[in-house]
Amino acid sequence: MKRRDFLEKLPALAVPFLLNGIPIRLLGENNELYRLAASNPESDRVLILIQLHGGNDGLNMLIPVDQYNEYYNLRSNIAIPQTGIRKYITLDDTLPDNQKIGLHPDMTGAKALYDQGKMAVVQSVAYENFNQSHFRSRDIWFMGGGSDDYYSSGWAGRYLDNVYPGYPDAYPTPDMPDPLAIEVGNGFSLAFHRTTGVPVSIAINDPDGFFNLITTTGTTLPPELVDTYYADELNYIIDVDKQSTKYAGRLKEIYGKGSNTSGVVYPAKYPLNAPGSYANNDLAPQLKMIARLLSGRCKTRIFLVSLTKFDTHAQQVEKADTSSGRHAALLYHISSTMKAFQDDLKGLGIEDRVMSVTFSEFGRRAESNASYGTDHGTAAPLLVFGKCVKPGVIGTNPDLSNLQYDNITQQYDYRQVFTTLVHDWMGASPSALQATHFDGFVDKKLDLVTCTSSAVGIKNEFINDRYRLNSCYPNPTKGLTTFTFYLNGQQQVSLDLYDTMGRKVKTIFEGEAGIGLHTFEVDLSELITGSYIYTLQAGLLKASKTVAVVR
Amino acid sequence: MASLDPISGTLGKERAAHLLRRLTFGATRKEIDLFATKSIDEALVLLFETRPAPEPPIDPVSGLPFTTFSPDVSGQGDLVNYFKAWLYGQMLKSGTNSIEKLTFFLHTHFTAIADVIFNGSDLYYQNQLLRKYALGNFKELALKICIDNGMLTLLDNKLNENTKTNENFAREFLELYTIGKGLEIGPGNYTTYSEQDVQAAAKVLSGWDLDNKTYSSIDPDTGLPTGKMKLNSALLANKHDASTKVFSAAFQNRQITPNEIVTGQEDYATEAAARQEIKDLVDMIFAQQATALNICRKIYRFFVFYNITPEVESNVIGPLAQTFIASNFEIKPVLDQLLKSQHFFDQDDTVTANNVNGAIIKSPLEVTIGTMRFFNVSLPDMYTDYEKFYELVKGVLGSIFNQGMDFYNPLDVAGYDAYFQAPGYNRNWISPNYLARRYQFAQYLIEGRFKTVDELTTVQLDPLAYLNEPGNISDPSSGNAVANEILDYLLPQNISTERYNFFLNEVLLDNLPIYEWNMEWTKYKTTGDDMGVRMQLNAFLNAVLQSAEYQLS
Repeated sequence: MKRRDFLEKLPALAVPFLLNGIPIRLLGENNELYRLAASNPESDRVLILIQLHGGNDGLNMLIPVDQYNEYYNLRSNIAIPQTGIRKYITLDDTLPDNQKIGLHPDMTGAKALYDQGKMAVVQSVAYENFNQSHFRSRDIWFMGGGSDDYYSSGWAGRYLDNVYPGYPDAYPTPDMPDPLAIEVGNGFSLAFHRTTGVPVSIAINDPDGFFNLITTTGTTLPPELVDTYYADELNYIIDVDKQSTKYAGRLKEIYGKGSNTSGVVYPAKYPLNAPGSYANNDLAPQLKMIARLLSGRCKTRIFLVSLTKFDTHAQQVEKADTSSGRHAALLYHISSTMKAFQDDLKGLGIEDRVMSVTFSEFGRRAESNASYGTDHGTAAPLLVFGKCVKPGVIGTNPDLSNLQYDNITQQYDYRQVFTTLVHDWMGASPSALQATHFDGFVDKKLDLVTCTSSAVGIKNEFINDRYRLNSCYPNPTKGLTTFTFYLNGQQQVSLDLYDTMGRKVKTIFEGEAGIGLHTFEVDLSELITGSYIYTLQAGLLKASKTVAVVR
Repeated sequence: MASLDPISGTLGKERAAHLLRRLTFGATRKEIDLFATKSIDEALVLLFETRPAPEPPIDPVSGLPFTTFSPDVSGQGDLVNYFKAWLYGQMLKSGTNSIEKLTFFLHTHFTAIADVIFNGSDLYYQNQLLRKYALGNFKELALKICIDNGMLTLLDNKLNENTKTNENFAREFLELYTIGKGLEIGPGNYTTYSEQDVQAAAKVLSGWDLDNKTYSSIDPDTGLPTGKMKLNSALLANKHDASTKVFSAAFQNRQITPNEIVTGQEDYATEAAARQEIKDLVDMIFAQQATALNICRKIYRFFVFYNITPEVESNVIGPLAQTFIASNFEIKPVLDQLLKSQHFFDQDDTVTANNVNGAIIKSPLEVTIGTMRFFNVSLPDMYTDYEKFYELVKGVLGSIFNQGMDFYNPLDVAGYDAYFQAPGYNRNWISPNYLARRYQFAQYLIEGRFKTVDELTTVQLDPLAYLNEPGNISDPSSGNAVANEILDYLLPQNISTERYNFFLNEVLLDNLPIYEWNMEWTKYKTTGDDMGVRMQLNAFLNAVLQSAEYQLS
């Protein structure tokens, strides 16, 4: 049988077919080998923008532990407690004092990600001559400009337009069969507008529903016209129509092929008190869908998701318990969703392809108002998530004794963050950076991204500094030896001793342990001489070392 | 060159259709033909005819109008939905009267967000206030909106007090509702006003409360309820900031202070003095030319086109603002001048590139109402058959929601994106989903999918009924007449021969020769068997109503 005949007789599924041990696809024009040879690893990288719509109160998300008294005095009616069961979570005890952060108590997911080295914080992000209008400020963040700029395009739109020239007519291509950007929702955000033509994104809520809708509606399109306002508007409609048709089938296909990691639960509701419309986790379904699309080999580069209702002028907290309520619910949604999302990506084996960043049009004033809320502010922190994030905290806590008209002082321009992500993470070329209008910020990048071979070392070092099983001393020992371990968060812990056959011979410690260094002196003299293994299990940390007992 | 010089002569079909598309939610063929015989002056008289305010919506639980106090009432969630349905019904009934569209324009400007206000009566009264001023004095309306119950809730001014200022309403009053923001020329300085002015205005606006339990505070000018001043036992405005409010250079460093303060343990202004301060504030803001320009731009964008070129700014907006100021801020003179103008009718120059006809992407309201009106699709009476009416409109509003318009519930306090969000403005109505849902509305309307749960009442477009009614199509037995006349009256611009052939030959005739239509129609008329013509008409209307061209006005 001729080889070609043999190939043609196989079903046209996306099942890897091995040729000399190398997988190739049987899908017509796709040639995996060619693509692997030609591919640029950075072109697989995905950026997720998480818009917090309304102005996120950064000060109640990341409590400045070093200035707790000032913090409390400024906003006693909404302050997150320092003690008790609803106190803030100590993010990282190893940080210098002026960086010590208390996470809102409902952000346990974020804490876990931080401990795994998958979260970074950038403090006090804004832009100069800050604008406290929702609309103008949100436009600025999407626009990628300064307070004086009035672009009609968004930075993501300009970036993608440069990387994928000729959109929409030249697409799809074998290398880019998918929408350049996807926003979850129904409309078009300024983020993806270009200077001319349709935006580079497709907005969907659910790929199957989208497919059904697109394929059952519409009619033959008229030809595009020229030279009048009517023509411009008509052509816009025609282009949007064409994009829908182009991508509806493709999105359904990849969504169908994709899946979420079984066992990963995206929490649906805030577990404590908050008004009904805040309790529902509207962020989770968006990220769950994205994970599934990515697992179906979606090549879309930038996604935009959003969570609304952050404009907490009044009733930001529950009066009886300031740690719960509207804002708490929203923070819970961010934190729990990102944790589930990272776990999902990990289970799908695509964790190193994705980086996510939160942003909001502004933060809120340091001083609360009498309505148990806060008014529009300026600078606020961003959270960056991902396996390839360089974990840690960039910037110090806001200086609460140095506020400007009750507003937090800027430490970083938001374009420093986005330029870092576009350049270091997405691999933007100089021309792409220029088209994005970020070229002026390249020398002010932040240390946020790490995914080179040395990155693994950096990651291990980060984790090791914060969760560590030390070598016991003395080792070897005739009897007495001291075990120590360091924790960066309260955990249920067990430290046990096993023989080389794997049998447990001694419980060194079992119980709850808090932040800090823990020391246990133990007498091993009753054990027979030989090698033993001591194993620490503390939450996600599992570490083992050996100790020798001698006579 | 853009010119506000008036047009002359009778309108003719094209100009009449353009005028009606912009000033109503959609007209019928016969209405277009009628207006075609009128001059612009006569047409505006018809469009601007005053009508009595519509009766309030009925609450199904009591069977009585909203405004009647009754022990048994629906919950606010339901009342809000009945209000929305009622308003949609008013728009549907408005025909060639512009007042509803003008009222809607004012709603897109003085925003209301139903979920935040969450009170059916407050929404109803505010809407009646807008309707009263649809062709009235805009400055007076801006003054009255400050103490409207719905607005007091929406932007937290009911929480704004002397000891705890809440700037939310003051900020948006300046930024969105009156003078608008200029370029930021310094920290907190937006040229037309600055942060200092926001804070000072907030103090002027302090000390108000809702009065929406008994609605006892009635404005003698309008007969409509308002909020009330917070007063102490001595009837002084004890939550109102009685200090002198100092404004910035943008307002010539003006100071506003109560003209009557009663000193005592605390110094409080009298209620009259506090009210006068708001009037002073509004006078001060409207004395700035920027305010008139801002409002005229809003009017222009809503009725003409979203892109204001420098030429339009100086030759149209500028003069309109002068008219606005000279009339002491009456809306009607501005609309008269704009709508009678050569600019509005693309006759101010021979350049076609700047023509405004067909340049506005319709909102879901024009799409749905326009379609239903043109084809005489009726709904049950909202006063006598209200339960069915509410049920059916809920379905239509659901489709409108999917088309990108959360009716009376925009996300932003700035209103619906189409009317303010640069760069796209009206293009914000179009995205893959929104567009497909517009198409789907037409499909559902033709299929009769909007029906009551008991399936006894349907909102349906019946193309045969349309053809059978005399005067809608000159000769329904002619395929050309059917296609040509429907396309001509529904679409804003002429289409190419090729495109016409698509609609006529490929769709209506299913690629059969034209005499087939005549044969099918004759067969239907003699035997009553309508299958053939009905199927073809449905296909034809689906294609026309789901076309890109139909989305434009």
